[in-house]
Amino acid sequence: MKATDDDPAQAQRTDVPGVASLFRERPLEQLELPSRLVRRSSRRAVLLYGAGAASLVGAGSLLPPATLGGLGLSTNADRTRREWLLNQALRLDDDIAEALYSRDRMVPTYDKAQITPLKNNYNGATPDPSYIAEWSLLLDGLVSGVSLSLNIQSLLARFAVHEQITRLVCVEGWSAIAWWSGLRFGDLLSAYPPVSQAKWARIESSVNLDSAGNRDPYFMSLDLATAGHQQTLLATHFNGRPLTVEHGAPLRLVAPMKLGLKNVKAITRISYTAEEPADYWANRGYSRYDGI
Amino acid sequence: MRLSHWLNVPLLIGLVLSGMSIYWAAPVFQHQADPRTGLFDPLADVGVWLCAHVPGMHGYASPPDWVYNHLSLGPGLLGPALRIHWLCAYLFMLNGLVYAVGSVAGGGYRSLLPRTTDIRDALSMLRFYVGIPFAKLTRRPWPHPQFDTKYNALQRAAYFSVPLIAFLSVVTGWALHKPVQLHWLVALFGGYDTARILHFSLMCAYAPFLIPHLVLVLAAGWDTLRSMIVGWSAETPEAKE
Repeated sequence: MKATDDDPAQAQRTDVPGVASLFRERPLEQLELPSRLVRRSSRRAVLLYGAGAASLVGAGSLLPPATLGGLGLSTNADRTRREWLLNQALRLDDDIAEALYSRDRMVPTYDKAQITPLKNNYNGATPDPSYIAEWSLLLDGLVSGVSLSLNIQSLLARFAVHEQITRLVCVEGWSAIAWWSGLRFGDLLSAYPPVSQAKWARIESSVNLDSAGNRDPYFMSLDLATAGHQQTLLATHFNGRPLTVEHGAPLRLVAPMKLGLKNVKAITRISYTAEEPADYWANRGYSRYDGI
Repeated sequence: MRLSHWLNVPLLIGLVLSGMSIYWAAPVFQHQADPRTGLFDPLADVGVWLCAHVPGMHGYASPPDWVYNHLSLGPGLLGPALRIHWLCAYLFMLNGLVYAVGSVAGGGYRSLLPRTTDIRDALSMLRFYVGIPFAKLTRRPWPHPQFDTKYNALQRAAYFSVPLIAFLSVVTGWALHKPVQLHWLVALFGGYDTARILHFSLMCAYAPFLIPHLVLVLAAGWDTLRSMIVGWSAETPEAKE
């Protein structure tokens, strides 16, 4: 501990140059402190400060809320500030996810042997399949200025079908490898271009139900940069068969670079917008970008 | 550096509590549903066992939730838990960066590097710790082994491996968070589910450090705890209370 300049052995050791000196521990520094400072930070003194602070806080919390508010110690403001901080972290995380995303980077694909079971993860109840017979897809926010209604036959007749085996990752922490086929969202965008200012798609399923079985439309925001990725599909088939009601018949989104909750089942409407549209799960405190 | 050390306390508490609420939602850790109870979550089993076997806990309203009500934000709070986890994780990474820069710039890393004499010294420290209770019982003097380094070999091993565990926690966390864009990272850890299990195991790996760390700091006395805050330790006779 006592390293003095007139100790020749010490001086020799610290003067060795080269790589070895990078790893050798340096002798501890000796500080001269006024004894006043040492006395003030004795255990007894610090315990006294602590007791003083605790009694101040204790007495302070007994003051009426109006007084506390006047002193700038309102608990409501604290809550707002905490919310603000948590939302900032979520936004930062979304911005990082967006920076990581590239339209040219392919999502990993798998072999058929690697396919795993995919559970029916309808958040509430599974809708009654009767909607499928009269299903059509409504498109709006198009450059043509008119809304379009497309049925599944015309979609399949008009667009090339692509297939991919990708992993669907759920926010809950599980994932499943599944084989999807359908049309590319990018092909739909080229065939029916959105208005020029559009940066977002609002994707809705009006047939979604809540856990009590009541109508609970599911809506989700998707940035057009992701919609245009060549692995973003509007899927019609799952594991080689037409989609069943559990997996979102007759048309669902498969965007494997997003969390599962963005992969809307039984899409009934796609609207293109310039402003970021509302999102079912973002409204409930989750991320709005959900890039993985 | 000292500030960065103390910041870890609230950050790790936040990360562990929110992490347990995220664990609540993850089926990766679950087993087949128990035919009697219908439960599939190992931590729910722990709660049920505790409430059945620990006196004074028999009346607990919801035994499967006991662990989550006491060691997490609570069950069914995935959304809030994720937001807290991200906030604490970004601050934790920033803090780790400050720690890394600080220990290089200040040269503090030198005290943490493993040495060739560490195994022998660690054994003599272990012998010292094991012997303490016997020495106290027989009232024999039991001197602390002397070293000319800042930390003894056991401390060095602990203070060297904990930043490593922290680093791995962060990296496995990123593998779980961005499994598509960072798919090479997922592959490095042996797959998506394996990375999650690793991330959880790394959290558990803090415990064998933390418990002796707290016990020994308290046992070492006020001068040590104060030195962790102010950065100096006293040698004057009046400081020895």
